[in-house]
Amino acid sequence: MKRLLPFIIIFLVLGVALGSAYYLKRSTNDVKPIANNAGTASTASPGASQANVTPGGVPGAEPAHTLGPASAPAHLEEFGDFECPPCGLLHPILVEMHREFGDRLQITFREFPLVPPHQHAVAAASSAEAAALQGKFWEMHDILYENQKTWHEAFDVRPIFEGYAKQIGLDVERFKQDVNGDAVARRLSQDGIRGHSLGVKGTPTVFLNGREVPFESLPADKLRVLINLELTGGK
Amino acid sequence: MNPEVAPTPSTRVGKRENILVILIALLALCGMADALYLTVEHLTGESVKCTIIHGCSEVLSSSYAVVGGFPLASIGALAYFSVFSLAVLKLFGYKITGVLLPALVGAMCLVSVYLIYLQAFVIHAFCQFCLLSAGITFLLTLLVVVSWRAGSR
Repeated sequence: MKRLLPFIIIFLVLGVALGSAYYLKRSTNDVKPIANNAGTASTASPGASQANVTPGGVPGAEPAHTLGPASAPAHLEEFGDFECPPCGLLHPILVEMHREFGDRLQITFREFPLVPPHQHAVAAASSAEAAALQGKFWEMHDILYENQKTWHEAFDVRPIFEGYAKQIGLDVERFKQDVNGDAVARRLSQDGIRGHSLGVKGTPTVFLNGREVPFESLPADKLRVLINLELTGGK
Repeated sequence: MNPEVAPTPSTRVGKRENILVILIALLALCGMADALYLTVEHLTGESVKCTIIHGCSEVLSSSYAVVGGFPLASIGALAYFSVFSLAVLKLFGYKITGVLLPALVGAMCLVSVYLIYLQAFVIHAFCQFCLLSAGITFLLTLLVVVSWRAGSR
């Protein structure tokens, strides 16, 4: 028996390790319901589109930046950072989903710049919000993601972003003022507070109808399946 | 009635060596937990996310995090499990572990030095879980050397 004991210990440890790894993987894969902060969801500012507010958590900046109608049966809310490479990879996927699902899907973008590690993340988020003040959030959003690699390495991004502002037809002088204005700073803060209230720790973090989508389910083929499940009520 | 015998220097050395081997087994378990966590993070893609904790996403999404199609962390978990198994076998008097344990821990130590070099000079980012693993490996190396010296006396 004593000769067998070490092997019993080894197999026991192996079993516990594999079991723990399986449990950890399963719990990570589970589509998590978002944190429910009772009492806070009802504090949405008057006039805010309730359909834009994913249940749970505190409301973010309103009106939110959305694509697709508020009446859409599927709501996807992304917390993104323009300087984050995986967010850059998610961008064309969401464009594809928007094109494919049309009026059945509403996409909301929330600012979640990570500083550190991304030195230009706040400048990029501020530029997108400043563009929003002139009604061109999505144009700036797209140009920032599409050129992420270009400005990510730059020392000073201001002239680059002003160039983008000109390219999408913004009033550049107003844009330069708005980038550092209170309205923009307030929106970044509100989206950040919402993200933290939902337990967002990294980007991209995506919620689909109030449930967090695991990162590994963000490739187009997997995300499409999840959206279809929401549209068909899980049938 | 068995008369009590004062411990001889050789039994004292054996006891000390056993304590060292138990420490090696426990450290290997810690290393295995760290490596398993990283493996699961890698497989689920969570490690690729950008987070405020700078470094892990850069290190774990780099091309060096995969070897032959397997996450490097899973190879690390296997190595720690092997160290644990060898330490347990050694504790129960199996002689086969004599060369294998120092050889394996030595190889892990060299790999850890190379991985720290990659983080510092190639990827330019540090992942705290990888650093923890390297720290555990360096401690294991130290314990194996001390245990070997204790055993050779």
